[in-house]
Amino acid sequence: MTGKTLAQKVLERTSGRSGLAVGTIVEATPDFSYSHDYAAWAIDAFEKMGATRVHRPDRIAVCFDHGIPPNSAKDANSLKRVREFVRRHGFAQFYEAGTGVAHQVMVEQGWIVPGSLSVCNDSHACSGGSVGALALAVGETEVGFLWAVGRLWFRVPATRKMVLHGRLRKGVYAKDLMLEIARQLGVLGALYEVLEFQGDALPALSVSERFTLCNMATEVGAKGGVFPYDAVTAQFVQGRAKLPFEPVHSDPDAQYCAEMQFDLGTLEPMVALPGREDSGVSVTEVAGQPIDQVFIGSCTNARADDLHIAADILRGRKVHPNVRLIVTPASRQAELDALKNGDIEALVEAGATLMPSGCGVCAGTHQGVIADGERCLSTSNRNMPGRMGNKNADILLCSPATAAASALAGCIADPRLVT
Amino acid sequence: MALATIRGTAAVFGDHVSADVVLPARHSFLQPEQMAEQVLMDLGPEANRKVREHPIIIAGEAFGYGTGRESPCRALRAAGVRAVIAKSFSRLFFRNALNNGIVVLQCPALASQPVTDGDEIELALAEGWARWKGETFAIAPFTDVVAKIVEAGSLINYGRQLLAAEKA
Repeated sequence: MTGKTLAQKVLERTSGRSGLAVGTIVEATPDFSYSHDYAAWAIDAFEKMGATRVHRPDRIAVCFDHGIPPNSAKDANSLKRVREFVRRHGFAQFYEAGTGVAHQVMVEQGWIVPGSLSVCNDSHACSGGSVGALALAVGETEVGFLWAVGRLWFRVPATRKMVLHGRLRKGVYAKDLMLEIARQLGVLGALYEVLEFQGDALPALSVSERFTLCNMATEVGAKGGVFPYDAVTAQFVQGRAKLPFEPVHSDPDAQYCAEMQFDLGTLEPMVALPGREDSGVSVTEVAGQPIDQVFIGSCTNARADDLHIAADILRGRKVHPNVRLIVTPASRQAELDALKNGDIEALVEAGATLMPSGCGVCAGTHQGVIADGERCLSTSNRNMPGRMGNKNADILLCSPATAAASALAGCIADPRLVT
Repeated sequence: MALATIRGTAAVFGDHVSADVVLPARHSFLQPEQMAEQVLMDLGPEANRKVREHPIIIAGEAFGYGTGRESPCRALRAAGVRAVIAKSFSRLFFRNALNNGIVVLQCPALASQPVTDGDEIELALAEGWARWKGETFAIAPFTDVVAKIVEAGSLINYGRQLLAAEKA
């Protein structure tokens, strides 16, 4: 009998089955689920199924983040409908627009806990792996089905071992590592797999950095990304966890479908070129190229530590006159932290436009849209054509440091050269 | 209900058509007929026209990858798409399409053929094959609960059946 991976163990517990081989389809009951504005579609599905009772509302939360504050009466009415449904069915928690991007809020507020199965109708649900959860994305109809029926199907995933060695050098961040991972794997290179991060680099990686890595697991086609529960996780969830939990670890003899090794000390700042997340190159190859807008935001890279990195570069300086800088904190808590320590002040004084915490600019739903032929350098997770609302504009991805250095220079710039 | 046989003409697309290209987020809340007017418009009016005219999409790698929004699949369904055959899919597109009554088949052998817009395609889901110009290609069967969702025609239909059975 070979050992089991974390993903196998979590799916065994939540499906009530044992000895689950990779590829088996199981029906499981998640420990927690959450949704955002698109809960409107889940409500549609719930009602069309003829359901009247929500299963385990004490394990469901909703956080508005996509189109907030709403642009139109139609959008406002849709949010109102969700609000009323959430109250009527007694969901555990409702977070009003402006609280933050749901993925960030659910980790920050302790709803996603180690060893749990968490689901959300959003591709970046995989972010919850940053605290040792098996955090999976599903569709909106599936969330309605979960509310109505109490379970969802999952294919037991293979797990890929991602071994991280060494320490990131100055000016190089978790985002650069993730863009390198995407470059090596391609946009579906880890299809259906769970990326399990291991190695001697882990104790030095914060939950925020782990979040950046797990968040973009979906950008290589993976089902999830996960960091094993350790002292860093323990410290983070202490006093924060809202649900009971038991950490789960892969067995030492667990089967992995593949293994990749990364020496963090050799990485450079990366920039993903327009069109695909796997098109990363060293910043040195594209330094000096023109940009029109810089976006520091999204669930990938807009927590307090990210804002601090950007503020340190821009403090006492001005954003280049040819560039617009938009900053959207990942959550209100991140914004508050950055307000109290002066980072927001430094960014705004430098010329940043501060936006309400949410998904808008990254998702291309509203605000921050770029013009035809323009180029936006972004700390977000996606750069396919049209992602930010205009198919005739280009999006490049990078770390908050590269974004801030470039906003200062007025063109793509290497953050290691900022003095 | 037995798994259907699907016959129809093909609309052919290349590699890496993301779900954000299929339907941008700003169109997520449109009515079905308006969604059908917008589907794949980021690739131009011709792409929109052919997907509304031909119910079977043949595509390359990673069709519908990226965003987990379900609206791109709703838009394809509203445009009359009944099946997508591609070299590969992201897991969310696979789930969302099946849940909205679009059959999703990973079949690199067929997706690599020089299929052109308007070619006749036949899919026999129960028997496990697809046919194009007299050539037959094996397709993997749906199993377990996934087969039940496909048989029911959508996840909403399947949920409705389950809840009705609970009440009975």
